[in-house]
Amino acid sequence: MKKWLILLLPLMLFAKEEVVIKVAEMHCPLCTTAVKKALKSIEGVESSKVTLETKLAVVIAKDGIEDKTFLEAVKTTGYEGVIVSRHRLKE
Amino acid sequence: MQRRAFIKGCVALGASSVILPQVSILEASEPKSKTRIFFVTNSYNLKHENIKGLTKLWVPLPQETTYQKVSDFKFNSNATNAYVTDKNSYKARTLYAEWKNGGEKLLEVTYTITTYERNSDLSKATASTKYPKDVAHYLKPTAHIPTSGKVKELALKIIANSKTPLDKAKAIYAWVTENMYRDNAVVGCGLGDAGKAIEQNIMGGKCTDISSVFVALLRSVGVPAREIFGIRLGSSRYSKACGSSDEKGLAKITGGEHCRAEFYLDGAGWIPCDPADVAKVILTEKMTLNDPLVKEVREYFFGNWEMNWMGYNTARDFVLTPTPAQKPLNMFGYPYAEVEDEVLDYYAPAAFAYSFISQEKL
Repeated sequence: MKKWLILLLPLMLFAKEEVVIKVAEMHCPLCTTAVKKALKSIEGVESSKVTLETKLAVVIAKDGIEDKTFLEAVKTTGYEGVIVSRHRLKE
Repeated sequence: MQRRAFIKGCVALGASSVILPQVSILEASEPKSKTRIFFVTNSYNLKHENIKGLTKLWVPLPQETTYQKVSDFKFNSNATNAYVTDKNSYKARTLYAEWKNGGEKLLEVTYTITTYERNSDLSKATASTKYPKDVAHYLKPTAHIPTSGKVKELALKIIANSKTPLDKAKAIYAWVTENMYRDNAVVGCGLGDAGKAIEQNIMGGKCTDISSVFVALLRSVGVPAREIFGIRLGSSRYSKACGSSDEKGLAKITGGEHCRAEFYLDGAGWIPCDPADVAKVILTEKMTLNDPLVKEVREYFFGNWEMNWMGYNTARDFVLTPTPAQKPLNMFGYPYAEVEDEVLDYYAPAAFAYSFISQEKL
């Protein structure tokens, strides 16, 4: 059992997730930059891609960051976010 | 430093077959007076942490109309590719440049613009509401200019028993200049979200905010109206709030972007208005609607434009060409740039970076 845990530990430590957040109130291209910057400021976030047309932010982050951390970051831009999906990425 | 060949461009904006003149027949009847000539230089040195990322820049260019003529248009750049286009739904004239290989991203645009004061003859207006197709386009709602719900409800209350388009416009102009005020805390020219302003009773704003409410109210009661995005070029005879320059006619116009508005009357054509500058004069000069200067400006800016300003376009909630990563664009009164899919902050000229100057021929 211990052996398995030791073998899985690196995977658990470095596992990544894709988190998709809807920010419906974004209304101009500059909003995307503000939301992107806010999400990238979260520790453990590797990248974020924000698209005005779909009003979606796609974040790649280390596994385990709580929903509220993402949503609070979005809130600093003056908008409300809603988590659409999150799934673990294959290594 | 990577060296790159400079692209030089020289386009006769008024004569080009690519760039269509945006002149309505009725505008042509306006009297020409008080001609002014300005030499404009726009300089760009784009900055971004992703220096090797594909960088794209769209620069708004002045439209060619009866009240402003462009000549000696030139640009000089180390861009990979640069050209002038008006291929978008509003025919907004655009200088597009892109850099593919990192290094400095430089562009200088120069032109001469001759402006003619606009004075309308409102006695020519008829009560007809049969509008040409290109005019009727400006009755349609956009994402930021809704024409139903609370907007229409408010507009109907304001116009009360007004019957003609001119009377409706007078009532709406009076209401906007009486109820809206300039809020200097708003970034840039403001977002111009007329729906939000009316629904949430946000009466403070800047020029795009005030003009967009004016336009939305007019459209909602069947009067064609539009914002015109542009930039101040020199001194105003009314107040430094409406434009300034030094004694030699030099004006540092970075940050001088200004949105005006027009509405359409059959028989008289597009009527120039500037409700936002009434609010700016009130704030800057620390006056009220009852002060003689404000009374004069308020009356003048219904039907007249002092042409120490030039107009770029009337585009709202539209898509530029070539298509950017982020769309649609709310308005095109500022240069717009992307590095890959990231938008440069066009409200921060020093960080962007761009600077504009205007030298008036005295």
